[in-house]
Amino acid sequence: MNASTHSARRRRWPTVIATIVIVLIVLVILAWLGSKLVRAGGDPQAAAPAAATPALIAQGAYVAKLGDCAACHTAPGGKPFAGGLAIASPVGTIYSTNITPDRDTGIGAYSYGEFERAVRRGVDRHGHTLYPAMPYPSYAKVSDADLTALYAYFMHGVQPVRQANHAEGIPWPLSMRWPLAYWRGLFAPRVAASVPAPGDDPLARGAYLVEGLGHCGACHTPRAVTLQEKALSDHDSSLYLSGGVNDHWVAPSLRGDAASGLGGMSEAGLATLLGTGRTDRSAIFGGMTDVVAHSTQYMSEADLKAVARYLKSLAPHRQETAVKYDPATHQALFAGKVAATGAQLYVDNCATCHRTDGQGYAQVFPTLAGNPVVNGDDPASLIHLVLAGGTMPGAQAAPTQFTMPPFDQRLSDREIADVLSFVRTSWGNRAAAVSAAQVRKLRGAVPAGRAGMTDYDPRKR
Amino acid sequence: MSSQPPSRSRRDFIRHSLATVPALGLFGGAMIAPGRVSAAARQAYAPRYFNADEWAFVQAAVDRLIPADDTGPGALELGVAEFIDRQMDDAYGRGELWYMQGPFVPDAPATLGYQLRFTPRELYRAGIKAVEQWCRQQHNKGFAALAPEVRDQVLQQLEHGSISLEGVPAAAFFGQLLQNTKEGYFADPMYGGNRDMGSWKMIGFPGARADFADWIEQPGKVYPFGPVSIRGDKA
Amino acid sequence: MKRMKPVDAVIVGFGWTGAMMGLELAEAGLEVLALERGDYRDTSPDFSYPQIADELAYGIRGKLFQPLARETVTIRHAVNETAVPYRQYGSFLLGNNVGGAGTHWNGQHYRPSPEDLELHTHITQRYGAKFMPADMQIQDYGLSYDELEPFLEKFEYVCGTSGRAGNLGGQVQIGGNPFEGPRQHEYPNPPVADTYGAKLFADAARAVGFHPFPQPSSNASRPYTNPYGVRLGPCNLCGYCERFGCFMYSKASPQTTILPVLMRKPNFALRTNSHVLKVNLDSTGKRATGVTYVDAQGQQVEQPAELVIVAAFQMHNVRLLLLSGIGKPYDPASGSGVIGRNYAYQMMSGISVFFDKDVAINPFIAAGSGGTEIVDDFNSDHFDHGPHGFVGGGYIFGGQTGGRPIQQLMVPPGTPAWGAKWKQAARDSYLHTATVGTHGSVMAYRDRYLDLDPTYKDAFGQPLLRITFDWHDNEYKMTRFLSDRAQQIVDQMKPRQSSLTIRQPGDHYDIRQYQTTHTTGGVITGADPATSALNRYLQSWDVPNVFVTGASAFPQNIGYNPTGLIGGLTYWAAKAIRENYLKNPGPLVQA
Repeated sequence: MNASTHSARRRRWPTVIATIVIVLIVLVILAWLGSKLVRAGGDPQAAAPAAATPALIAQGAYVAKLGDCAACHTAPGGKPFAGGLAIASPVGTIYSTNITPDRDTGIGAYSYGEFERAVRRGVDRHGHTLYPAMPYPSYAKVSDADLTALYAYFMHGVQPVRQANHAEGIPWPLSMRWPLAYWRGLFAPRVAASVPAPGDDPLARGAYLVEGLGHCGACHTPRAVTLQEKALSDHDSSLYLSGGVNDHWVAPSLRGDAASGLGGMSEAGLATLLGTGRTDRSAIFGGMTDVVAHSTQYMSEADLKAVARYLKSLAPHRQETAVKYDPATHQALFAGKVAATGAQLYVDNCATCHRTDGQGYAQVFPTLAGNPVVNGDDPASLIHLVLAGGTMPGAQAAPTQFTMPPFDQRLSDREIADVLSFVRTSWGNRAAAVSAAQVRKLRGAVPAGRAGMTDYDPRKR
Repeated sequence: MSSQPPSRSRRDFIRHSLATVPALGLFGGAMIAPGRVSAAARQAYAPRYFNADEWAFVQAAVDRLIPADDTGPGALELGVAEFIDRQMDDAYGRGELWYMQGPFVPDAPATLGYQLRFTPRELYRAGIKAVEQWCRQQHNKGFAALAPEVRDQVLQQLEHGSISLEGVPAAAFFGQLLQNTKEGYFADPMYGGNRDMGSWKMIGFPGARADFADWIEQPGKVYPFGPVSIRGDKA
Repeated sequence: MKRMKPVDAVIVGFGWTGAMMGLELAEAGLEVLALERGDYRDTSPDFSYPQIADELAYGIRGKLFQPLARETVTIRHAVNETAVPYRQYGSFLLGNNVGGAGTHWNGQHYRPSPEDLELHTHITQRYGAKFMPADMQIQDYGLSYDELEPFLEKFEYVCGTSGRAGNLGGQVQIGGNPFEGPRQHEYPNPPVADTYGAKLFADAARAVGFHPFPQPSSNASRPYTNPYGVRLGPCNLCGYCERFGCFMYSKASPQTTILPVLMRKPNFALRTNSHVLKVNLDSTGKRATGVTYVDAQGQQVEQPAELVIVAAFQMHNVRLLLLSGIGKPYDPASGSGVIGRNYAYQMMSGISVFFDKDVAINPFIAAGSGGTEIVDDFNSDHFDHGPHGFVGGGYIFGGQTGGRPIQQLMVPPGTPAWGAKWKQAARDSYLHTATVGTHGSVMAYRDRYLDLDPTYKDAFGQPLLRITFDWHDNEYKMTRFLSDRAQQIVDQMKPRQSSLTIRQPGDHYDIRQYQTTHTTGGVITGADPATSALNRYLQSWDVPNVFVTGASAFPQNIGYNPTGLIGGLTYWAAKAIRENYLKNPGPLVQA
């Protein structure tokens, strides 16, 4: 550093300080305005509409499952709902909060009205807007009845745990919460004074569960640069549930897209997949694993059916033709013919479980032939799975957690690209080739492959 | 390496090289470790456990136990000496897999199994020392310097326990050496032996494939695929 | 000493029977704790592909076996000899860690023949008491096949056993084992497809007039969901079965059949790295108060419990009872005492069958037990023993369990063990060699037993178990008889050459070669407390809140693999505990 730049810098100081002061003043005004203009609504003083009977508490426990509250608010190995789970966000690490009824560190002091505001409107007891990791734009649809039950459960059905919330790992200025109020004002839906329950019609019930408590769009609907979901219901646009990307997993389209969505799946199959984490052809992987483990496996038969019916009612977003099985690949591999690029790699690494016919084994190892995940545009999930492996969720009705080992040590970027390109073009599959560059990009980004463990493996804690 | 047996000329090279093993042993001996053409880049292996004389012995011995010829690769070129050295530096070599509490009853009936106080690495150390001593007395040369036919004779005598070694039962030492040689010859290449899956290719073992669902439906058919290793090498 | 919160039931050892008992007792609502001295193990990550396909680590170095450095057994051939330690693995392979030997077994899943359970009575009735040599000490189990049948079936359905029934409710079924006892239902899964070697064997066996059938195998032939809701994968004949864990979720083990349900039970807990030193008794010596174990930190811990299930491997069960002072130790001189009594083994023979190069046996296409064919014509009392002068028998098998070259490569007789000729023979034989073998019973004898070794100790300073065992004439006769018939089949297979390995009269028990891990006896069941340690419900006669599961309960060995019977006995005992013992804790049979 030389003297002249040194003095130049010194001369700039007053300007810099003045700028900072002005910015700060503007920020304070904006923050104040935010709290005034972007109202939370609701009535924090409101009392619970119904007494916490055992039946109501039990209903609330079920609603908590439907809402998958535990997914974020119970840390692995931690006490139920005591928070502390680290959630990576674009701005830094957020930690889920303690929502047990402990008065000091949890939500024991929350009135029903305050609870309602937090869940449906994203504003906490102190008036701060919650990070939208809390899916309040979806929970806005939760009915008064379910919310009442949920409140009863969290106040009376959950063990209070004294555990202080973890400080957020977000650097200033992003750690300022007031801009969230504007985000909320712009993107969160208005909540009516009273939200009725959807009734018993499966389609209406399914829409209620998917758009509301299930907050499926959080992952399966694409997000804008400003991070809000591009659609919060099918009424908004066919972008709703048309697929998203999260944590280097592709959350596939849940619409009727013929090749890359749910077009090829039956209503019953979908219900089974959500209830048990697997079907004869599919298996749950990636981010959906926890959803099945904590939420959908506990859904009643009727609710599973309702969710499946609603999802099956969604028109395709992409105009695709269905994938038709082509036996040529199987015939060649069965005869030991592996001339096609990637074919030998497939036989050496994949066919053991997924078979040379690409059909896998029912409810054990998923089918690759015609699998919408295989046929999607973005191969990120496939690359991710090959690099890091995956473990199926354990469900009450299907407790075995079949695990795919990681292949990051065994296969190079080129080999993974070749074998996935083979998979995406065999047995009738017709998706674009995977490049080594795509694999390289993810290799550094996803956790290094270590063979998975079951949820009950005592070494996991 | 292709599935063809290596060329005659290279085998001759190996044989000639072995005549100079004792000298080369001082340099770690890896100079003579052959391999596929691309293996010129292979790092010279410096033994972790064996000293120079022992290293020369192990190489010269495994080269006779499974010699290189037209049938297929020999133990030496497949890295079996390296394998054994690495095993000596492992829990196995240190005797940590065996019950090694005394009292030891070495003259217990053979059918009651191994009863020596030696761990594998100690057995090698004592065994090699005794064989070298015996060879110098009988042949005025160390084992590695003996002609291949003479080395074979010595190994046969060890096998049948027909020579008595100082402090080590000859047959026990030989048994250990032969067992470890076959292990190194056939084990997954990641342990240092069975380079390029040479032994697997020779016998037709497909290695770590571990899936024959299609082939149980085609009994009696010739299996078409070459081996793969645990790390994913294929041939 | 650290003292833990009392539990309703403590289980010593978390292999097959520990897991079965764990789930049965947890389902009954008890607070159950299992203590396992090894580590936790599960299909993933511990048996994952490709790491599991490692012959050296698992097949040769025995990664899944009990570390002998810490504890082994000692062995001698006769009462007047000094035993020496089993320092390296050879004759049998002890299990360790969660799942025990149930993770690295082959999956041969048999039932006993009805007469096996009432052997003494049966032999006496059919051939007369004099048919048995004076020192032969065979006994009845104290329960019948008909009583046990539902429990044998239950275990088969838990395991997803693949096979073909040979006797359904008394009706002989074509294609199954016509000699088996009646079963109420078909196997849960069809047989695994035959390997080529097994096909050649079965054809030849039929041609010589025997009755081959697919080996009942707990290598599931297809994806299968067991009664607990646990799903198994299909066997793909990977060739890495015995000595290995199964990466396909196909071989039945506690991990693949029970743990996904049991481990999630809130009233069940597992503590690994917990080595039980003894079962504690109260001052009367008639009641167990729990166990003492050493935890992972090396601390001694007292675990009080109302009920103690000793569910370790056969040898460990015997040792633990001896160390705990439960039951009177057996004395071979007087023939009195019960703990250690009637140790038995099995007698095997093998025939390597060498074909010409145009016969592609492909030995690596193999399952631990599936895809193998069996001839059971000469097992149990399926034939008239009168002219042959021995008791017992066995089955003949044809098939392959793997082509792992360090251990399983065979060369023709007369081939040198090394050098160019060995290599050439190895190359020329490998793909073209099939295996036939016999798997025979061993009876119990007065001078074959287990006790504590006076000299050698384990890592905790406790005496090792001592085995006193050698072959008897009855077994030499049996194996010759069986091997002759196996050779008949082999000759019919028309190989280029074959070579029989058999134990000849005068050959001593040789612990260097692997034979079988089917060691039995030492804490046997029976109807008389003077000659048995357990009543028919596996309950200790002496300390009624102690039950002992496993092959230690077998009064003598059968010609079959023991796991099916072990499972059946365990479920039978579990039912007695649930339905009778818990209501009224005390002896289930009055002595």
